Amino acid sequence: MRGATAKRLFLLAVLLATTLAVMHFTVPERTRSVSLEYRFRDTLAPVQVGLTWLSGQVRHLMSLPVSTVRAGARNQFLEQEVARLESQVVKLTEYKLESERLANLLNYKHIVAEDYNLLAASVVSRDPGNWFGTVSLNRGAVDGIKENMTVLTPEGLVGRVFSVSSTTCGVLLITDPRSGVGSLIQESRISGVVEGTAGSIGMARMIHIPNNAPLEIGQAVITSGLGSIFPKDIPIGEITDIRSEPSGLFNSADICPYADLSRLEEVLIITSVNT
Amino acid sequence: MPFPALLLLFGAVLILQSTVLGFITVYGIKPDLILLMAVFNGFLLGPRQGAFLGFVGGIMADLFTGSYIGMNAISKMVAGYLAGIFGERFYQDNALVLSGVTFVSSILGLLVDYLLLHFLEIQVTIFYAFFRVIIPTAFYNAVLVPLLYGHVLRFMKIKSSEP
Repeated sequence: MRGATAKRLFLLAVLLATTLAVMHFTVPERTRSVSLEYRFRDTLAPVQVGLTWLSGQVRHLMSLPVSTVRAGARNQFLEQEVARLESQVVKLTEYKLESERLANLLNYKHIVAEDYNLLAASVVSRDPGNWFGTVSLNRGAVDGIKENMTVLTPEGLVGRVFSVSSTTCGVLLITDPRSGVGSLIQESRISGVVEGTAGSIGMARMIHIPNNAPLEIGQAVITSGLGSIFPKDIPIGEITDIRSEPSGLFNSADICPYADLSRLEEVLIITSVNT
Repeated sequence: MPFPALLLLFGAVLILQSTVLGFITVYGIKPDLILLMAVFNGFLLGPRQGAFLGFVGGIMADLFTGSYIGMNAISKMVAGYLAGIFGERFYQDNALVLSGVTFVSSILGLLVDYLLLHFLEIQVTIFYAFFRVIIPTAFYNAVLVPLLYGHVLRFMKIKSSEP
């Protein structure tokens, strides 16, 4: 009995001593313990990797039907969300562009406030055909609009008001074949008339330029102020091509208007000129 | 189609023509939907129908713009009538044939426009008139035909089967 107790006590002591020794050797700061831990970890690592991979695969396999159903629903939700966000982006881009255009108009209005009184207007519709170049604006007699008022954008001349109703007005663009604008070449001060070609073309041409006048592509053309409809010094466009008129006495020049007349959305109407 | 419905349809087409179509211009050119309607009608129903629809649509376009009333009426009547004559001589169940007919009828209709512009003393140089307006518009109209042909044919068949 006493021998058995002693044996148990001895085994306990050995166990304790071994444990204490192991504890002693596995204190982290000691390099020996680190190397022991590494040995364990290195030995077990391939098994652990294999098991982890296997568990992952099994879990994936088990959850596949559930996740597929969820993925389908989620995909549908995300597609709707993408479509909604895309539409929102388009709307916001439109607001941004509109805001930029209006800021430009406002800025221009401030710059030229000393010279003209301006009224902003939006394009409502265009001529349905391709021969004429006319647009309708959302300003009319109630806003003080009168015939022959000049219409422009910060980029350049657009045309003149040719008809007025109570809430809208019609504008004859400078590209309309019925339009004629007294103009001059900015550098050489040579005068001529800028007339429209056809509404859809988006080009005008300056005619009756003396054939000895120095003409160059890229020269700016501005209003001359003659004829009393258009105020002086409004930019019209630049020369893109030079031709000789059939009479031989004059040249004509193709003019690309500074204002993009095919994409007009907002314009300014000169309601009065400050003298 | 009852006449008031036809007028409403033309009104809707003209609103479309003066607003939305301005955003799908190619080199500044937009298709002429009234002329297309006249050509379709003429080609499928005969010269008289084409001329009638062209005239009514053209008058409405003239009233819509409020100037030179009669100019579009005459040119679209001519285009509709010519399409009707072509329709009597060519195979009708082919969109490409109608495309060709639309191209030729549009050119002739727009040439009438050009002559009327001269009559009204509105000068458009012949180069610009042909190469920047007449041919591009006729081409754009012709290109649209295959897209619209099936729908128009189906509509016509439904209308003709109604008691």
